[in-house]
Amino acid sequence: MTSNLTPSISRSNAPGIRLLRQILRNRSAQFGGILLILLVFASYAAPLFTDKDPNKTAPSVALQPPSLEYPMGTDNIGRDNFTRFLYGGRLSLRVGLAGITIGALIGITLGLTSGYFGGWVDAIISWFTDVLMAFPDILLALAIIAILGPGITNAMLAIGFAFVPSFMRLTRSSVLSLREMTYIEAAKALGSSDARILVKHILPNSIRTLLVLITLGIGSSILAGAALNFLGLGAEPPTAEWGAMLNAGMKFVRQAWWLTFFPGLGIFLAVLSINLIGDAVSDAVAGTTILSEKK
Amino acid sequence: MFNYLIRRLFTSILVLFGISMLVFSVIHLVPGDVTMAILGRQKVTEEKVAELREQLGLNDPLYVQYGRYLGNALRGDLGKSIRTNQSVSESIAEQLPSTFALAMSALVVALSIGAILGLLAALRHGTWVDTLVMGLSVSGLSIPTFWMGLLLILFFSVKLKLFPSISNGSSFADLFLPALTLGLPEAAVVARMVRASMLDVLNKEYIITARAKGLGERMVILKHAMRNALIPVVTFVGLQMAYLLGGATIVETMFARQGIGRLAVQSIFNRDYPMVQGVVLVTAAIYVLINTLTDITYGFLNPKIRLK
Repeated sequence: MTSNLTPSISRSNAPGIRLLRQILRNRSAQFGGILLILLVFASYAAPLFTDKDPNKTAPSVALQPPSLEYPMGTDNIGRDNFTRFLYGGRLSLRVGLAGITIGALIGITLGLTSGYFGGWVDAIISWFTDVLMAFPDILLALAIIAILGPGITNAMLAIGFAFVPSFMRLTRSSVLSLREMTYIEAAKALGSSDARILVKHILPNSIRTLLVLITLGIGSSILAGAALNFLGLGAEPPTAEWGAMLNAGMKFVRQAWWLTFFPGLGIFLAVLSINLIGDAVSDAVAGTTILSEKK
Repeated sequence: MFNYLIRRLFTSILVLFGISMLVFSVIHLVPGDVTMAILGRQKVTEEKVAELREQLGLNDPLYVQYGRYLGNALRGDLGKSIRTNQSVSESIAEQLPSTFALAMSALVVALSIGAILGLLAALRHGTWVDTLVMGLSVSGLSIPTFWMGLLLILFFSVKLKLFPSISNGSSFADLFLPALTLGLPEAAVVARMVRASMLDVLNKEYIITARAKGLGERMVILKHAMRNALIPVVTFVGLQMAYLLGGATIVETMFARQGIGRLAVQSIFNRDYPMVQGVVLVTAAIYVLINTLTDITYGFLNPKIRLK
């Protein structure tokens, strides 16, 4: 903290910056980071790489194998697979990000409340998370889709809710260990309100542990989103999205491998890049490399 | 031990109770009128709506409905499908063996491949073998199940024509591709666990003692290290079953296999709420049961847990 080697950096930022430096020095995080930047850039700057329309059909060039004109081939109604791949990435990445944001916001709020106030509030919230935890993996998301009906927004909500229990539990346990700290007692004695203590003192100190779950969670969230889309419960045709493209390409798996290969590769690379970064984050935070969760 | 057993069972019952409430409320949480969602664009007459409301028991107060749902469920009656009029419990009982066969064979794949790779990585710690296994493992964690399945289909079924891409039975050939699809990503998790656990054990004093006694390396590894290293992995099996039951949804849909996962997805499309409720309830209950048994077994094996 009192290192005089970096006098230009304000002290409150120092731990965060040190963490970031440590992550950036990690070889696999560098690789993951570059991969992720490339993927995000390719999908958001799609018009730079292709002048075609992702939804324009051209039956005369249906099911063309990859060529110079169509780098990833064409689908059964002659849409350019490369263009759809680029545009599809936007949606897949966004579903992942939205899912984890919803899950983190609700889960962290519940965890803070539950851990800080204790008593019957804690008992009820904990019981509720135990119940949610009892739904394996994608089943909770499926149950939520069953209620809300299929669709891309509902898929984001479903994935978000499925993440609530893990965030709630981690935040709660972190709050429980912080609650008894002297500086929290001091803040209380000084007359700080509960809300102020939670947001100003407890949350910032829980961030390090939560950071691991958030990074690795983005990967899981992209996977879960693609899975729902693959099952046909998310994006509706003709929307380009990697999972949905895979689903559509399944029918032509014997004639046109390119229709399933490339969208799947996109999902794989996106999740891989995030997992590599996540591993480095967890290394930096705790000194372990075990990915504790697989969604 | 007795106290621990009672406490653990009590928690499980509370959770099962919560699951039943959540599953029950599915039909009431549907935005708008659930009968409209079910009947959709059909020409709806007043009588038809009234008939459906009667069939679903929607006219009674909520607590009466829930009491009836819980009572029936405890007797094994989960209602009737809105689409086929078939009993939900019977449909699930028909589909369950197929999912079970899939999950079990995937578990065998995950544990055997994962354990071998994990042990190799730990024994060759810091060499290229270790790096390769860890690389495979992080790839396995990042690969979408359905893409893995597609790659396997493209290779084994389209190119080599060895195994069918649509498979409904429980024979080796039928289960081979689905089990690999479901099991390989999980093998990645197992490999990481085995490696970490083995590395931990290899640094323990009793291993040093065993070596100091002049025991052969093979004996040290097989008799002392491996046994202890595999304990945490075995207790992890319960959690893995959950992943496998969930993942079965995708694998069954992809290989057009029978099973409760595919039943769930189809019922969502058909807006067959009683069927969706039934499948979700049964799967969650199985999961709770497995977890409870795992915890209790662990309590027997490890006294520290009991006292918590």
